[in-house]
Amino acid sequence: MESKSTFTVKGLSKSFAGLKAVDDVSLQLETGEILGLIGPNGSGKTTLINLMTGMLEKDSGQILIDNHNIGEMPAYRVPFYGLVRTYQTIRIFKNLSCLENAMIGALGVGTKHREAAQLAVALLEELGLGDKIELSAQSLTFRDQRLLEIARALAAKPKFMLLDEPAAGLNEEETDELLSLLKPMPHSKQVGIIIVEHDMRLIMNLCDRLHVLNYGRTIAEGKPEDVRNNPEVVKAYLGSAAHEQ
Amino acid sequence: MNLSKELSTRQESARHAAAKDYTEYFSFSRKSSTVVILIAILVVIGYFIWWLNIPFIEDIFTAGTITLIMALGFQLFMGNSGVLNWSYVGYVGIGAFASAIFSMTPSFKAMQIPTMYPFLVNLHLPFPVALVAGAMVAMIVAALVAWPLMRLSDAVGAITQFALLIVINVLLSQWSQITNGPRTFTLGGTRLTSLWVALGVAVLVIIIVYYFKESSLGLKLRATRDDRYAARSSGINFVAVRYYAYVVSAFIGGLAGGLYSHYILSITAASFYMGELFMILSMLVIGGSMSVSGAFFGTLFVTLMRQFLRQAENFLTRSGFEASGSTEIVVAVLMIIFLVWQADGITGGEELTWEKIKRRLPNGKKSREKVSKNVKQEEKA
Ligand SMILES: Nc1ncnc2c1ncn2[C@@H]1O[C@H](COP(=O)(O)OP(=O)(O)OP(=O)(O)O)[C@@H](O)[C@H]1O
Ligand SMILES: [Mg+2]
Repeated sequence: MESKSTFTVKGLSKSFAGLKAVDDVSLQLETGEILGLIGPNGSGKTTLINLMTGMLEKDSGQILIDNHNIGEMPAYRVPFYGLVRTYQTIRIFKNLSCLENAMIGALGVGTKHREAAQLAVALLEELGLGDKIELSAQSLTFRDQRLLEIARALAAKPKFMLLDEPAAGLNEEETDELLSLLKPMPHSKQVGIIIVEHDMRLIMNLCDRLHVLNYGRTIAEGKPEDVRNNPEVVKAYLGSAAHEQ
Repeated sequence: MNLSKELSTRQESARHAAAKDYTEYFSFSRKSSTVVILIAILVVIGYFIWWLNIPFIEDIFTAGTITLIMALGFQLFMGNSGVLNWSYVGYVGIGAFASAIFSMTPSFKAMQIPTMYPFLVNLHLPFPVALVAGAMVAMIVAALVAWPLMRLSDAVGAITQFALLIVINVLLSQWSQITNGPRTFTLGGTRLTSLWVALGVAVLVIIIVYYFKESSLGLKLRATRDDRYAARSSGINFVAVRYYAYVVSAFIGGLAGGLYSHYILSITAASFYMGELFMILSMLVIGGSMSVSGAFFGTLFVTLMRQFLRQAENFLTRSGFEASGSTEIVVAVLMIIFLVWQADGITGGEELTWEKIKRRLPNGKKSREKVSKNVKQEEKA
């Protein structure tokens, strides 16, 4: 069994033309955990993921995997240290087959072609895309494209995986499917997951801990039950969501 | 506990079952058959034309095969990276001049190009060595200039490549110590690029270009073409993968250039400019730039069409109509039509494989009809 790794974010900040999109955010995650990152629209969740993966340049703060300072590396080096992500607006390689899409996840971190193919086929079958392996990614349904992105991320054999609204655009049944796929993953894949979602049912059923953002700032963190009853969270987020319903 | 154990053993066994199967997706009929089919078509046509022994047709085939090599090298970078690489014909030109300078006899060079640097005059290599050395010169030039350009994509990328082509073209047409300047550069001697030489190199290049595309590097490059961001967060440095492809592409371009100069025997810098680029670009667009099969069938199609149009043009001109230039117009319009309605070309950007041919054979047909019938019924319902 592999030893546990720790993903640490310290005092991360980013402004866009005076707007503080992410403001002094710190968090920590271990392999085997699922952390829910929630907050109202525009609260800085996607920006935080972009910063953590090096896709956006941070203004200040530190990002570490164990003692590797990945915050100072170019974005394409980050997966080599075990951090991968998916996108809120699906980003797949549309002219490549599902197999090739998933293989990229493995090839990207230096896996040999043969092993990458083997791993990709196994992952696609595991995620229920086994009969679509040779189809081009653009011909897939929305749901399958989301799963393909997760397959690509897993093919890197990551220590940590950041999922940006993986259930967005899925119906209730498909969301349940996704839940049952993700639930055993921290254990079976030895991966720590940060998941951004608006679907509170998914979040409450899946996450060990929650981290709540509002206007780029952390307003609460802790066990789902505690966070749910935190008055500030109720006011900022759950309140408005309840109001909508 | 028991449940999770059972779950993980199930996943384990699923993994073992898959581990056996993955090779199926890389079987001969699904992958490598493409190379065999393309080479077989080329060799059969080549052999037949050699057997016919009509010099006029043999010339068309040899020139067409050189163009095929050019188009394949162009596909290797542009098709896989999605960056319109105008500078490519510049490397074809560099290969053409360099290999000619290497293979010509010192006495002929001294007579033909009195301005040439003495060390170049004295250089004399056998044809095959000169060919490869010429391609290496193109490759080295590409390797020296390309790194900072590879960062650029889309319109900016295309504009920079275009500017680079102009630089190369001006150097080729003005550097009279190397290329005889704007005057025609005559090679002298006999035609060294025979039908069989061109064919042999083409076979080799088909293999290189196809397996490059299927390699880890080629696959990474194709990923950057479809989505640079997703490629980056998957661990791909797109500048690096583009760079390697660009350099290999320049080598193949240089090889095509060397074959061309030893076929046509007199060249100028203008032979490696917009006209040539337009021709191979039209081949890639019409055939489908994303596949090697696309470059192959695009070249075949456009070459045949140009020959046909050229004959028609001559016939019309002889019978009193002014029709010169109509070939270019027809090819250009066809290219526009493809870009608007069938942007992935006649191959749809896919490779022709034995697997796909099998599915279209008579016994494969029935199942296809059934499927389409079912689809129609579903549409009605
Ligand atoms: N590249 C950018 N340039 C300028 N402003 C940006 C940029 N990216 C995000 N922002 C702004 O930063 C704030 C946070 O946006 P972000 O996309 O991170 O929110 P989010 O929490 O992911 O929202 P959602 O739930 O809608 O996905 C918003 O006000 C947004 O307009
Ligand atoms: Mg977002």
